[in-house]
Amino acid sequence: MQKLIEVRNLNIAYGSPAGWTNVVQGVSFEIARGEAFGLVGESGCGKSTVAYRLLGYGTVNSLVQTGEVLFDGTDLLKLDAKSLRRMRGNRIALVPQNPTTSLSPGMRVGSQIREMIATHKALPPGMSMQARIAELFALVGLPDVGHRYPHELSGGQQQRVTIAMAVACNPDLLVLDEPTTGLDVTTQRQIIQLLGDLRSRIGMAMLYVTHDLALLAQIADRVGVMYAGQLVEVAPCDQLLAAPAHPYSRGLIASIPTVAGTERQARGLRGVLRRDQMSTGCKFEPRCDFASAACRSTPQVLEPVAETRTVACMKWRESAVPETPAVKPRLDAKATAKPERLLSIADLDLTYRKPGLFDKLLGRTSPSVVRDIDLELRAGEVVALVGESGSGKSTIARAISGRLPPRAGLISLDGGLLDPALKSRSVEQLRQIQYIFQNPDVSLNPRRRIRAILERPLDHFGIKADVKTLEGVLENVGLHAGYLDRFPEQLSGGERQRIAIARALLVNPKLLICDEILSALDVSVQARIVELLRSLKEKHAVAMLFISHDLAVVQQLADRVAVLYRGELMQLAETETLLAAPLHPYTEMLLEAAPGLSKDHYVSRPPAMPASKPVPGIGCPLAGRCPRQVGSVCAETRPPVQATGSGFIRCHVPVEKLATRAAPPVEKRPAAVV
Amino acid sequence: MSTITSSPAKRFAGFDAARWRATPGPFKVGAIILLAHALFAIIGVFWTPYGFAEMGAGLPLSGASWQHPMGLDQIGRDVFSRFMHGAHIVLLLAFAGTILGMVAGTALGLLSGYIGGWFDEITQRIVEAMISIPFLALALVMIIAAGPALAGEPVLIVFVVGLVYAPRIARIARAAAMEIATREYVAVAELRGEGTWSIVWREILPNAANVLLVEFSLRLSYAPILIGALGFLGFGIRPPTPEWGLMISENRNLLIASPVTVFGPGLGLASLVIGFNLFTDGLSRMLGQRAVAGA
Amino acid sequence: MSVFRLLASRILFSALTLLLVSVLIFLILEALPGDVATRILGRDATARALEVLRSQLHLDQPALVRYFHWLGDFLRGDLGVSIATGRPIADVLGPRIVNTLLLSLFAFVIYLVLALVPAIIQATNRGKAVDNVISVITLILLSLPDFLLATMLLFLFAVAVPILPALATISEASTWQETLRAMVLPAVTLAIMMAVYAIRVLRDSLIEVLRSDYVRLAELKGLRPRAVLFRHALPNAIVPALNVTALNLGFLIGGVVIVERVFSYPGFGTLLIDALQLRDIPLIKATVMISAAVYVAANLVADVLAILLQPRLRASR
Repeated sequence: MQKLIEVRNLNIAYGSPAGWTNVVQGVSFEIARGEAFGLVGESGCGKSTVAYRLLGYGTVNSLVQTGEVLFDGTDLLKLDAKSLRRMRGNRIALVPQNPTTSLSPGMRVGSQIREMIATHKALPPGMSMQARIAELFALVGLPDVGHRYPHELSGGQQQRVTIAMAVACNPDLLVLDEPTTGLDVTTQRQIIQLLGDLRSRIGMAMLYVTHDLALLAQIADRVGVMYAGQLVEVAPCDQLLAAPAHPYSRGLIASIPTVAGTERQARGLRGVLRRDQMSTGCKFEPRCDFASAACRSTPQVLEPVAETRTVACMKWRESAVPETPAVKPRLDAKATAKPERLLSIADLDLTYRKPGLFDKLLGRTSPSVVRDIDLELRAGEVVALVGESGSGKSTIARAISGRLPPRAGLISLDGGLLDPALKSRSVEQLRQIQYIFQNPDVSLNPRRRIRAILERPLDHFGIKADVKTLEGVLENVGLHAGYLDRFPEQLSGGERQRIAIARALLVNPKLLICDEILSALDVSVQARIVELLRSLKEKHAVAMLFISHDLAVVQQLADRVAVLYRGELMQLAETETLLAAPLHPYTEMLLEAAPGLSKDHYVSRPPAMPASKPVPGIGCPLAGRCPRQVGSVCAETRPPVQATGSGFIRCHVPVEKLATRAAPPVEKRPAAVV
Repeated sequence: MSTITSSPAKRFAGFDAARWRATPGPFKVGAIILLAHALFAIIGVFWTPYGFAEMGAGLPLSGASWQHPMGLDQIGRDVFSRFMHGAHIVLLLAFAGTILGMVAGTALGLLSGYIGGWFDEITQRIVEAMISIPFLALALVMIIAAGPALAGEPVLIVFVVGLVYAPRIARIARAAAMEIATREYVAVAELRGEGTWSIVWREILPNAANVLLVEFSLRLSYAPILIGALGFLGFGIRPPTPEWGLMISENRNLLIASPVTVFGPGLGLASLVIGFNLFTDGLSRMLGQRAVAGA
Repeated sequence: MSVFRLLASRILFSALTLLLVSVLIFLILEALPGDVATRILGRDATARALEVLRSQLHLDQPALVRYFHWLGDFLRGDLGVSIATGRPIADVLGPRIVNTLLLSLFAFVIYLVLALVPAIIQATNRGKAVDNVISVITLILLSLPDFLLATMLLFLFAVAVPILPALATISEASTWQETLRAMVLPAVTLAIMMAVYAIRVLRDSLIEVLRSDYVRLAELKGLRPRAVLFRHALPNAIVPALNVTALNLGFLIGGVVIVERVFSYPGFGTLLIDALQLRDIPLIKATVMISAAVYVAANLVADVLAILLQPRLRASR
């Protein structure tokens, strides 16, 4: 194949008052015409820095020390501003990470696309601008939204607009910088599907930058794995996923939770990337299980190990030998006696806005965000609450914790009714429910030392404690006493989340509410926190309400799963049952959209009745989007609750009919295991 | 991502050479100017070349000379001596007024920002109304309303500066409190059942400290101008106390005959404000806050 | 929320604010404990003079009645009668307001140029010498008290190099050239005083916007630098500066008082000072009310402009 772009020995440093830091070191790769190349790595590994250099772009404080970026024979790094402008957008286009902040807020999206075409005079002959823009919108599956402002579109729609804009001039190369991060699973898959589609239609090459290997598996031909500014492995995508050679690639792949990967075997990554602890040799050495003294001093460079793959590790042969799988016994050796009921929620109905005086006068009621929730948690049980963003998961958690008094419904803990308002709950009740938040960066007071952060709840609840207590709880969450005198900003994200968990455990709660506590963390850190939670669950017999948008994470931890869609419980089932036989059409959609570690040729199933709109508060909220919709009855009447083996589903389609599927579910192999 | 290097503990630690080198230039220059002014003011309390009210220290209107760097005024008082004696008055009035406004504004703003609801609505309306009256007009009206008994008294000036500043500071404090209240560590404290005072004191105030410090510094830099303007218009400290604004106003008749009597004290006042402004600039850069200028 | 509802609520809030302002002014001037008349005339005033003043101000009536009386008159356009001159306040105020409006308009035009040009130069040359030089100049100008800056300009351009009149005394007899010449110094002073704040805010917000994702995308679309600056960056950067402009109108009105005083310009500001010196309470109330109204109106305009410039705001507030 013909080379379209070639990166040769790229070295980039960032300047700061403290001096220069090398962020990219000796990176070389090439992309052929029409090829999709993936660049993967954890945050801070330099992948985006490389990607933007492919557009000839770098921030003011970054410096290219050596290297070339040859695009069709010309070095983009040496090009003058004017020629570079002619290249950008026209021949190399960008799809940015965050469409919400990347579209100009004060400009209609149509004008933003028009501007792109006009600048490069890229209007196809004999076509009007209006028609071309409409055509582009159609190409990305949008109606004509040209007159809208960005804030009037959803995140998925905004990303489609930036894609339409990127392909407007039929570029040769598309640079995609984490284009689906922050989108819902199903939307993510639709965007990936669209990109694959566009590629086959327009025939452009792609550089796809992401931290998500599972997504990359769906779209990339070849993948480069980056660690600490260096490429450590370049290989065809399927080969990499099936048999990763570099220890880092192996760890990265092992850290990825997949819906099918119940029996995790390979070991995940330990430690975090710390640029201040870097040896002169292999950058991965401090975290590598196979490291020897030689690794510390010998720099590793990419060496071909097969016809199409290169690896930067001198011990790849040893490390590639599959470990004897240390099979973890599944924790739930099914207790015979059912433990007592801890939390029960009945007929919960929530709304955000308190009705104002106006609304009361006019008899208006604001729409419910969450309706008719019935849920039970037994002592020591982990129940997962799963749904897309905006489905009301966190809202329910807020109601349980007392921060959002419900409009209707009862919540009781340990047999005693919980007052709707936080202020009226007893100190004892407050102690028994502990809440862990999503973002550890803002859940710890940055002005207090860890010691003060941990001591405050003890003081408040009047729990007697000595030095040992704090040290003990830190040990419990995998930290040591040295952390007590640090400030939160001296800790990494994962460490902060551990402190938040420690703070919650310290007061011996009966229920932990974990509100998306993994989503702000890197994959390898996530995997280790899940480990921690599993061990805590065993040791402390604390019940957890585990809120997540990620079914793959949930299946490693939860005993039961509750699936939420637009504020209504669609399904409740034991985890294994749910994964094996999802039954509910929405659960099925979620499972299908979750990417496995191999190309699964996902095609989103078209809704059966796309025009139907659910009657608010009455019809099934999935009506119009559901591939199994049986008729207008779905949109107009309340779906019945049908009991299933371990729980229930809420659907108009009878359980028996749902159990027999039109198409067999897509087989997903745990590709991480060789 | 991992650019955070200093800890908040170190931010307030004492002086050491390495830190001094790392501090932004404006902060250093500002600090030096302010230190010089403070020193000047302290000396001025105890010693001046001539008495600040001493008439006939030299030939009236004789212009600048080594004996009289800022010349002499109409009745032969040495302007430099007056300027020197006035320094501590200006500084004390500025600090006292700003601190008063700071305490009142911070308390009101943090509480209303955190509590929200009706309390916030009502305080916000009042704060809004007070800000709507141009501050010079508000200050002057308050001075008039205080009546002749209090007119020209330092305590009235302090009170007026505080009252003009309080709603403006309250607005900043409120915005900071509202932003901090959405952070999850506040939610953690609420879920623990902590009281309002405890949350405002432990969780919100320490995290609003940077914003408030910059605001304090910013207000402090304007206070000498405000006090000077009152004096200039004849509503400030009662003569013959040598408040700088008042001196400039008095000597304006001499602008053609002896301009140094106007621009001497004027540039002195400006240098103090420049010191404050540089200090504020550097402080806001060090604390990562943006000082928003606004009336 | 529709733009109209948003607008209506803003206007409503502005009206409410002004109502509160009237209460505040009344409270400060007439309802503080102690005898109003004594406070105005001083303790040495004769009983007769006090009596006259009391009847002029209707002090025999309860405060609440007086307040609503005043408010009702005010809303009907009757501003009352000046104690000092005995003339209807509306007649006194009218020409003064026209003069000050003229001056402000002139100052505002200069202000726009003085604020925009340096800020854009600074933001696009961030960290370079020209940025630092302008920063130092703005900082020094920011630190000059308005009365000093006015006096300095007066000294420079009317005394040292006499090319402009020192006193901006204009009357109905003045020709428009004379008026314009007379207004140059006060207008420039006002413009500088306002611009130094705006330059700093606009520079910072422009730098922030130039770092934003959408400006980066615009650059990577291959747009010309000028298109990026004027189409994508400036419209979004100007909103904070707009708010500062409105905020600083309070400052401008204060500045007007000082500047008019220095140049003896017969405007609204000198009238306020006169009223204060003469303790002419009805006139003080009227002038302060009007200055507050101007401030509130300016903020309203800034809000509306911000909403027009940033469609996002229509949804979020």
